[in-house]
Amino acid sequence: MSFAGMGGRRGRVTQAGLHLGLIVACLAVLMPIVWVTRVAVVPASMSYSPGLLPQVSSENFEALFAGRFPRSYLNSLIVAAGSVILAMPFAVTLGYAFARFGTAGRVGRFSVLATQMLPPVALVLPAFAILRSLHLTDSLFGLTLVYAALNLPFLTWIMMGFFRGIPVDLEWAAMTDGATAAQAFRIVVLPTALPGIAAAGVLGFILSWNEFLFALVLSGPRTATIPVALAGLQTSNGVQIGTVAAGVVLAVLPLIVASRFIQRFIVEGLTFGAVK
Amino acid sequence: MARITLDRVSRVYGSGAVGVHEITLDVADGEFLILLGPSGCGKSTTLRMIAGLEEVTSGRILIDGRDVTGLRPRDRNLAVVFQSYALYPTMTVRANIGFGLKMRGMATDAIGARVEEAATLLGLSPYLDRKPAALSGGQRQRVALGRAIVREPEAFLLDEPLSNLDAQLRAEMRAELVRLHRSLGRTIIHVTHDQVEAMTMGDRICILRAGRIEQVGAPLQVYANPANMFVAQFLASPPMNFLPARLEPDEGLALDLAPGLRWPVPAAHDGWGRASNSSVALGLRPEDIHPHPAAGRVPFDVEAIAVEALGPETIVTGRIRAAPHLPALKVRLGRGPVPRLGETLVVHADLSAAHLFDPESGRVIPRLARGAVQ
Repeated sequence: MSFAGMGGRRGRVTQAGLHLGLIVACLAVLMPIVWVTRVAVVPASMSYSPGLLPQVSSENFEALFAGRFPRSYLNSLIVAAGSVILAMPFAVTLGYAFARFGTAGRVGRFSVLATQMLPPVALVLPAFAILRSLHLTDSLFGLTLVYAALNLPFLTWIMMGFFRGIPVDLEWAAMTDGATAAQAFRIVVLPTALPGIAAAGVLGFILSWNEFLFALVLSGPRTATIPVALAGLQTSNGVQIGTVAAGVVLAVLPLIVASRFIQRFIVEGLTFGAVK
Repeated sequence: MARITLDRVSRVYGSGAVGVHEITLDVADGEFLILLGPSGCGKSTTLRMIAGLEEVTSGRILIDGRDVTGLRPRDRNLAVVFQSYALYPTMTVRANIGFGLKMRGMATDAIGARVEEAATLLGLSPYLDRKPAALSGGQRQRVALGRAIVREPEAFLLDEPLSNLDAQLRAEMRAELVRLHRSLGRTIIHVTHDQVEAMTMGDRICILRAGRIEQVGAPLQVYANPANMFVAQFLASPPMNFLPARLEPDEGLALDLAPGLRWPVPAAHDGWGRASNSSVALGLRPEDIHPHPAAGRVPFDVEAIAVEALGPETIVTGRIRAAPHLPALKVRLGRGPVPRLGETLVVHADLSAAHLFDPESGRVIPRLARGAVQ
């Protein structure tokens, strides 16, 4: 492969340098993933031994499933999906109002993001106090509620961006065609924004899935999510590195699926409304 | 059937900017009216106010004498075709065309029949199950038209529907719209900034500038009798030439353009007498400057400083030899030898077709003293 204007010896040297740089960068990104996978699939006793795959064993996964991990996995799924489902209707309607009617003005729209600008540590104690007064600590619903609140501002902004990309002509056309404003939103705008809603939903899911601090403070052993459960494997008897690695591999799986999904939808979302 | 009346309609925005200023206009039932003007002149705003998509700040809009100013768009029974076509991207062509009927609660079978009928009329039958994204620009534009036609509205409001098409398709669609207007017999208000569309499609043109009406009339009548310099310049391409001059009494009247450049005014133009001894703007269309002499034409020399050979005609931009400080003139020459750059041509101004304007107000100075229609 060669780029126009980069022929000749000098061009080849530049190419080689470029590829070398890219290979190093790829390795830097991929090595941790490769190594975690490797540690997960070799017996615990060989976690630190040399060689890529001295022996393959499911020992680490068995150890993981013998403990509370399956429960935590389910908790994470419930909390992450639940928070998105809870926040999305508000994000969609608020984002639409912001985009189409300029509701709340510039200052209002920005102040929605205020909680995103604070360090999470500043929010975790008030959140704890509120949940305790509602008897919702150590409860999946409580954690879902908090994640929904944390996700709402940024989901709203993402939705606002998508709605801005949908031409107002579409609604006008629907309204002259006989639809009410609400029908125009429901029948025309919402389906057009669906790729955006899906993309925002997946982003919200990933954020909740990875969240550690709030889960640590607000959950108990029964309601721990994956990040908390994995942190729990660093015991006083040392870190059970093989089991942690197995947990990480399983925790990353939904994210890989989600990122493929989101890629497709974001690209589709960018081109979908553009009927000109 | 719909007669659309605008009674001192204004649109003022929250910021205080005036979009449309006290427009009064009467569109007859079955008329094809063109709203023409440069971008930002308020033509699309006017259209949207008629459709009910934009708030009316003051004034009234009547359809067949019924005040619809406060009515929702859906209650006006008008169809709008947007510049962007505004096709619903998630629906098939069939669903797009049938949407308005569905919203009005028509039975599915009846919708199907009406959609098929409209699709046949517009040559869209093979594409009924496609989504808009899988259609060409021309096909999308037809779907947008189909969506409007199928509802059998009282009137059609078209907001620059041809501006996204290429030149050839635009010419075809122009003819098609005129044909549709004839066969449907409905009122059409067509917004455009394209003067070819304005001249060829409408029964009347309404020319807007900065939210005000400059002139309303039949295309050829407006072309022949522009009310002011703006209309004279806007409604033709290349636009009318303007030359500053003084009108002096001289065995009748004469236009004094520069020392040694004095053109006699045709005796019939007695209306110009009242501008005697004052500064005027002489308006001469490029097609009223001829390469050949004839009675009543005034010869003068121009140096060609730009030449656009278009095939059927050649547009020469020329500087007047005797008065190089005057604005350069556009001259429209027919088919024939194409002049070279720098060449001096003898051309002949037909002053019987010339217009005079007041350079201050821009208003036309009528040719005839009694203000008779020419």
